[in-house]
Amino acid sequence: MDCKIARDALPLYFDGELDRTASREFEAHLDGCAICRVALIELDALRTTLRQDAPRHTAPQLLRKRLEKFAATQAREGAPIHPRRGGSAPRWLAHAASIALAFGAGGMAVTLWNSPRHASELAQTSMHSQLARDLFASHWRALAAASPVDVISTDRHTVKPWFEGKIGIAPTVHDFAEQGFDLVGGRIDYAGDLRLPVLVYRHGQHLIDVFVLPDTAAMASAATIAESGYRIDPVKIGTQNAAIVSDMDAGEMARFAQLLAAAR
Amino acid sequence: MSRLRGPIGRCRRVTTATSPTLVGELALHHLDAAYNLGRWLLGNEHDAADAVHDAFVRATRAADTYAGGSARAWWLAIVRNCCLARLQSRKREMRHVSLDGTTGDDDGPARSALERLLPHSEADDVEELLDQAQRRARIARALDALPPEFREALILREIEAFSYREIADVLQIPIGTVMSRLARARALLHKTLGGNAASEVTHGL
Ligand SMILES: [Zn+2]
Repeated sequence: MDCKIARDALPLYFDGELDRTASREFEAHLDGCAICRVALIELDALRTTLRQDAPRHTAPQLLRKRLEKFAATQAREGAPIHPRRGGSAPRWLAHAASIALAFGAGGMAVTLWNSPRHASELAQTSMHSQLARDLFASHWRALAAASPVDVISTDRHTVKPWFEGKIGIAPTVHDFAEQGFDLVGGRIDYAGDLRLPVLVYRHGQHLIDVFVLPDTAAMASAATIAESGYRIDPVKIGTQNAAIVSDMDAGEMARFAQLLAAAR
Repeated sequence: MSRLRGPIGRCRRVTTATSPTLVGELALHHLDAAYNLGRWLLGNEHDAADAVHDAFVRATRAADTYAGGSARAWWLAIVRNCCLARLQSRKREMRHVSLDGTTGDDDGPARSALERLLPHSEADDVEELLDQAQRRARIARALDALPPEFREALILREIEAFSYREIADVLQIPIGTVMSRLARARALLHKTLGGNAASEVTHGL
């Protein structure tokens, strides 16, 4: 192993990420190379300093107690993980059987709805259900991503121009901060092979995705679709077709839908 | 390694029936790691505790999104998202506040650096305490001065001893990016500390 390769391998060796063979090779080089030895000592000194003097903040007892209590309550009541999964489960759920989405480059696979039921209905999947599934998937991806937006809103004038030239549909962008729905920003996301503008709002702790839909991809039904505490509501932004995806309750969804509908 | 030894470990998938309980156990088991990350990202106890609380609620509801891999990385990814959400809304508030001409900045880096001086001290000698306090303040300042994306990678690696794979999962970035961020973070910190901390420790060994 020459010194250049060794220096690339050095942090991996130090962090325990080299396999046994590579580690042996590196150690053989280390025996004869003072430069690499010093570099290794420096890394170790830095770690020691951090472990000694950058104290690991331990969780306050109060927080721990609070969470234990919350967990106990959940266990007793049975957590509402699938509150609406029953005989009335929407048909599109069937298609969602065991869908694993690869989350970004991190490769964290996330299984969405692993209901094995209704497998026979797979063939009947409509455009409607496919779209709903894609919108949920997009929303969940955004929740798991480092940032749910590609452009951060300072006001609506930064978001609207960002979409222009990037995508066919120019969305109408409004901030409803005064009404409690802050415009966070926007992104472009995929639903199937459609590229859609997504406006991202926040209401309290709820993240809200507003997918702006082309006329050809309007939601087939005007009904709410719900799963795992998340909901899709078909809405209009002024006259534009759109869909809201969030974990807000029905009342908040309706209030937000009204604000969007009234927007010009 | 240690990452396989959580209460869930590497089981393929949390079963739906037991997942909220298991996730609760997992999250409580790694509560210090979660809180520590929140504390370094948000800079104060109050926000860190609130973010971890949000994350806990979210994790128990989203138990079925866990699909193998490091369970603690899955949990910390949720914690981190809740912290970022909180940072985002805090930035917004601060902007509104600054329009009024007041800063309202009572949990900035300076205060959080001070707060780090006191807890976890095992030394009983006054001189030693003071010395330790100064060292801690210096390290805390150096860490706070790092760009946040370098800081979080470094904390997960050096303090929480997460593997590259786990850090990649928490930060939702490729492993190559983890490596380059760690390298940059270490180089920057080494430079900030002027190599002094390093040589002190080396001589002390
Ligand atoms: Zn060398």
